[in-house]
Amino acid sequence: MKILAPLREAAEVQPLLQAGADEFYCGLTPPGWEEAFGKAWANRRNARSAGVSDLADMRRIVELAEGRPVFATLNSPSYPAGAVPRLVEFGRTLLDEVGVQALIVAEMELMLALVDEGLAPRLHVSSLASCRNPGAAAFYRDLGVARVVLPRHMTLAEIEATAIPGLEFETFILNDGCVFEEGLCATTHALGTYCMHDRVGGKYVQLDERYEFWRWLQNNSGCQTSRGFTLGPCGLCALPRLARTGVASLKVVGREASLARKAASVRLAAAALERARAGGRPEDIRSRVIELRGAPELCQGAHLCYYPDVWNGPKKGPGATSACASAADATPC
Amino acid sequence: MEYGLRLTRGDALPADPRAACPGPWRELLPPGPAVALYFGSEFCEDRLPTLAEALANCALAEAHALEPTLLTPLATPDALQRVQALLDGLEANDRQPAVVFNDWGVLGLLRRRHPDLPRRAGRLMNRSLRDPRAYRDAPDGCATHQGMRFARMRRFLADAGVTALESDADLDGGFLGDGAEALERTLHLPYAFAASGRNCALKALLYREGGGFSQAIADRCSAPCRAGPIPAPRADTPVPQWRAGNTLFFEVPPAALRGFIAHADRIVLHEEAAP
Repeated sequence: MKILAPLREAAEVQPLLQAGADEFYCGLTPPGWEEAFGKAWANRRNARSAGVSDLADMRRIVELAEGRPVFATLNSPSYPAGAVPRLVEFGRTLLDEVGVQALIVAEMELMLALVDEGLAPRLHVSSLASCRNPGAAAFYRDLGVARVVLPRHMTLAEIEATAIPGLEFETFILNDGCVFEEGLCATTHALGTYCMHDRVGGKYVQLDERYEFWRWLQNNSGCQTSRGFTLGPCGLCALPRLARTGVASLKVVGREASLARKAASVRLAAAALERARAGGRPEDIRSRVIELRGAPELCQGAHLCYYPDVWNGPKKGPGATSACASAADATPC
Repeated sequence: MEYGLRLTRGDALPADPRAACPGPWRELLPPGPAVALYFGSEFCEDRLPTLAEALANCALAEAHALEPTLLTPLATPDALQRVQALLDGLEANDRQPAVVFNDWGVLGLLRRRHPDLPRRAGRLMNRSLRDPRAYRDAPDGCATHQGMRFARMRRFLADAGVTALESDADLDGGFLGDGAEALERTLHLPYAFAASGRNCALKALLYREGGGFSQAIADRCSAPCRAGPIPAPRADTPVPQWRAGNTLFFEVPPAALRGFIAHADRIVLHEEAAP
């Protein structure tokens, strides 16, 4: 299994390689995009806060990666009229001229256009495409794509059932949860984060404290770090089972995060992977993660788990208020 | 215009299909007959009907000369098997509903095992923007209705034997096209979904503190959302919104409707927001 690290600029490549990254992904908005398509995002993240600045820096990223794969996101859930031909041309430039190894794509119109161009073997299906079962995976395999990024909210058993032969699979491993499901959220962060202001209210108002705590966890525990490590959703204890399933790549989320956070996340993933490769059980990996990251109460309640079924049933942890208040050594961002 | 009905408050079919939706909408919609009865769920696999419920819906539809139309959601491996069992059971009982799919795995199932059932691409196949906050500065939504946006996808679906496209009134328009691909075009009203997922706040109520949400995504749910949608007003938009189980819906501003009706052959009217 490889650790897939997010990038925003060439200066981040070397530190992330040193931290243990095996692959990289990043987003670049095509030149002239804003003049043609206004503020529509080309790759699901704000270009200014999360994107590579220009083609020259993208070339530098590929050069500095020294043969490690660099993937480029073109993964907005939908695009304005006229954008797809432009993105196909840009995608070809990234692949053929810049040296990007694959494009990460969500929108079906763009995916079909790239497949028609003969580029299927260099496509990764974004998690936004919501591939959740073996039939859907077979559909993408028949298109000829190389890899499917599975959505965040799947159990390990569901991942095992979905990971059919003939495709690479990538799973989320660290950071940045999603209150809804990214592929099923039709709103845009350009207008602010829709889910963070969602309340249940009414006769169910008693649920709001629990809902707020859970949203807080998805938002990297209120955007906090502990000992420099992001306190976000985490699937590290599931590494042995993901390895047995044949998962190829482990996604660290956070293109827009600071280099310090990215590097710490990759270091944590590398330490956990090392423990898993040495035959460590989930409990051993959890101990190692707590030793490095701290905040044991968030692990003990399985609060941060991307894949809580690694524990064969929910663990009973501390109540919402106590875990919120006692995240050890936590520093707000 | 023809109409589909999705009834969630009972089995009584209105004489005029437009009576199924809130009052102000009735005057906005052109007259036309009801032709289909929709049941099932596009948003939650725990709201898939049992075989008995599906058979009852098929019987109700056929008693009123309507086409029974089964809605299916994005599916986990387990749900895909349940959809398969449901379709097998309906076929064994000589029922042949149209099937709305929102998952490529379900489409594969239809092509492989139930090639005679009419296939309709559901609302989640269109991932265009639907953000209720976007109407704050543009009350009519500003949809451009440029059909070229999805021309390749429509051809692909038509080649896969799909007979119809369905969509919400999103912020862009264009998904339904202009009919050139011989796909019937269906618009769902008056609610559009804004966000959905497996982490259902109402389901979490069934668990003690510390449970629910991500720790329970694969648990079957007794669907407390069947009691009906809950108003979910927000400070950042005046557009009415509802929480219906795992999904947030909003009422499409009537001003945004005009361009969409011109691109639809059928309108599916929902009595209330439902997953």
